[in-house]
Amino acid sequence: MNRRDFMKDMALGGVLMRYGPSLLAQAKSSPDLAMVTGESPAAITKEALAALGGMKRFIAKGDKVVIKPNIGWDRTPELAATTNPEVIKTLVELSFEAGAKDVTVMDNTTNQAQRCYARSGIAEAAKAAGAKVPFVNEFRLKKMALKGEWLKEWEVFTDFVEADKLINVPIAKHHSLCRLTIGMKNWLGAIGGARNQLHQKLDEGMVDLAAFFKPQLTVLDAYRILTRNGPQGGRTSDVKLQKTVVASIDPVAADMVGAGFFEIRPEELAYLGIAQKRGLGQTNLEKLTVEKRTV
Amino acid sequence: MKKERSKKYRALQLLRIITQAVFFGLFLYLLFKTHFTGQDYIGRVEVFFHFDPLLAIATAIASRVLFASFILAGVTLVVTLVAGRYVCGWVCPLGSVHQFFSFVFKKAKLLKPRKEEKSAGRLAWKYYILLAVLVGSLFTVDLVGIADPLSFLYRSFATGIIPWFARAGAAFIGLLYGLKLSSAGDAAAQFFGTLSLNQTFQQGFFLSLLFLGAVLLNISKERFWCRYLCPAGALLGLFSRWNVGKVRVDMDKCIKCNLCTLHCQTQANPYPNEQWRSSECVYCYTCASICPTKAVYFPVKRTPEKIASVNLSRRRLIFTSALAVVAAPFFKITPAGKRAAAKLIRPPGALPEPKFLQKCVKCSECMKACPTNGLQPALDEAGPEGIWTPVLKPRIGYCEYYCSLCTQVCPTGAIKELTIEEKIKVKIGSAWINKDRCIPYALGLPCIVCEEHCPTSPKAIKFVMVEAKLPDGTVATQKAPVIDLDLCIGCGICETKCPVMDDPAIYCTSVGEDRSEKNRLLLELIQPATLTEEPKDPYK
Repeated sequence: MNRRDFMKDMALGGVLMRYGPSLLAQAKSSPDLAMVTGESPAAITKEALAALGGMKRFIAKGDKVVIKPNIGWDRTPELAATTNPEVIKTLVELSFEAGAKDVTVMDNTTNQAQRCYARSGIAEAAKAAGAKVPFVNEFRLKKMALKGEWLKEWEVFTDFVEADKLINVPIAKHHSLCRLTIGMKNWLGAIGGARNQLHQKLDEGMVDLAAFFKPQLTVLDAYRILTRNGPQGGRTSDVKLQKTVVASIDPVAADMVGAGFFEIRPEELAYLGIAQKRGLGQTNLEKLTVEKRTV
Repeated sequence: MKKERSKKYRALQLLRIITQAVFFGLFLYLLFKTHFTGQDYIGRVEVFFHFDPLLAIATAIASRVLFASFILAGVTLVVTLVAGRYVCGWVCPLGSVHQFFSFVFKKAKLLKPRKEEKSAGRLAWKYYILLAVLVGSLFTVDLVGIADPLSFLYRSFATGIIPWFARAGAAFIGLLYGLKLSSAGDAAAQFFGTLSLNQTFQQGFFLSLLFLGAVLLNISKERFWCRYLCPAGALLGLFSRWNVGKVRVDMDKCIKCNLCTLHCQTQANPYPNEQWRSSECVYCYTCASICPTKAVYFPVKRTPEKIASVNLSRRRLIFTSALAVVAAPFFKITPAGKRAAAKLIRPPGALPEPKFLQKCVKCSECMKACPTNGLQPALDEAGPEGIWTPVLKPRIGYCEYYCSLCTQVCPTGAIKELTIEEKIKVKIGSAWINKDRCIPYALGLPCIVCEEHCPTSPKAIKFVMVEAKLPDGTVATQKAPVIDLDLCIGCGICETKCPVMDDPAIYCTSVGEDRSEKNRLLLELIQPATLTEEPKDPYK
């Protein structure tokens, strides 16, 4: 290296030292939450992830990814009781593109699992994209310390715990007890045991579960939302076409945005307040970087 | 005399064994397919039954209607009339089970074939059983399902053998996990999950023991059930007196070793010629292939000849008929016919109770198909003639809203086949709340799990705000469930999911079921609620 080169490098280095961090910071400031509206569930899911900075932001090469949709009910996608299969399929594809080693899609259903997996269309869609779609397996159930404020321990399907990356993919639905079931309530499908007893303190219970599972990413399917008679509906007239997908690194904010699709004040959702207080996320969307797009 | 066994009949015997294996495989395949396989409609997995003339005749006599699908039983009758009881020897899956175990017990030296003509009298038993079944049917007591070989086999497998297989599988999977072979364990668990084997039945142990007993009878005599007990075999025996298939022993070649008669599976006595019982022969070709001198052969002869038949004494026939006539009313001694039983919730599409009992052959197909395991074999809920008929036990499993599998697989039409659209309108009972045990009503805590699971839209379970008085004198206001009977279809999911684990706080009874004109509650409910009109949102 001669002196001229040395001087050049020094100058370049200096410039980098001066402006580099801010450039990096600018590149880093991808939004916390993206909300995309459009006609195709697959396209808006893709766009939402792109707006968040791409799936690579969450998934590293060789990761074991578990995607947790809501497959709880024996209902077809038009009835908006289960997550849109195209959203799931797109997320599986994006995960593989980002380098995931394997992707598993599963849920502990309420109706018979075989029926829910098939009739929701999720098993077929996810398998087509190369994901494993196993039924929950009692042998993988393990009592774990949740260390929640209400739930100290509970039986959890270890598939969700052993994953490198966890993506929560709820659908936004009406629910009589907690008013709306969105992202945090979705974790009831990752556990076993006497789930029906959680209703006795449902808001606290689901926040404890959300705090335990801590997904890297929440993708809220609001393509169709269930406005009444939830959480399983039964008629297409219960369904509203919202044509939106929300992708968020903040699980609380995702639920907050989801609540906005319904004629309901977010204060009515007790669990949002509890989650905010527990530091799980932000209910004040102004404190987050939100990106809205239309496809 | 050159000693040589017949290659031709050995080949035919092998062909028979292969055919038996194929039909048994088909039986297993169709039975394992009898569950939700991803399609709303699963096709005719119950088709075996429709080839059974006994079920056709007995249910037709009992219900005074011939179920159209049973037209296929004509095939069996024609084959038997023309060729003999090939169906028993080559097709019947229960016959194959018995023959297989007879073979095993022979090899294990537990069963030693003996020429015992004194047991020939027992051959008549099955004819008396057949007579009793048919006389019972005449008096509308349908007992054919207890003794019919297909009903017996399907029931034993669905409620006993398959659950045993599933439990054994679970133990095996547990072992795999115990040995840290978790990927093998996962694979096995998924395999079992796909087959929907996770069913258990309240009489599973007892029904398995009956099956085990029937199998162990083969230690006493080869194909004991087929020889002495099977009423379907008896029926085919009656039809096989004039067929063209004959067994003959060429007396020029015969060395009188008696092997053919000794090893005859069904005591048809191929030797001597004049004692061969056409009605008992199932054409298994054991005699012809075991004969050391190729003396036994199966000629086709159209001309009727004098043949031996099972000795049926007229005295006993009359006695059996009289016994059946006397016995028939005993099966009706039950208050079940007088007043609908609260806990007798029948599957959707079930005919009115008297018709249902006349047609149900207790085969457990509906129970095997039920995705929630809610359909269980009755013990005494439906009276003595209703034993092993399907009853929905909502504490065990509920009636899945968009499922009509049980109606599709019923072989006799005791459960009317329904499309999904028809099924969701059928009311099989009504839900009730026990406010003394219901968590919001009694304890003032949130719950309404029942409301969450209620599948109708709008929901038949709504909530109202109620005040509960607590032990400390304070009052808690809580959302508590109330039932809209106009909308409730009695599916029972509320009872299944109720978190009051032992005695549920919400439960279903049969009252209000569509199929009954007597078991009514409110006159306005006679017309099923029309759901076409858009109801106003109950939550706003």
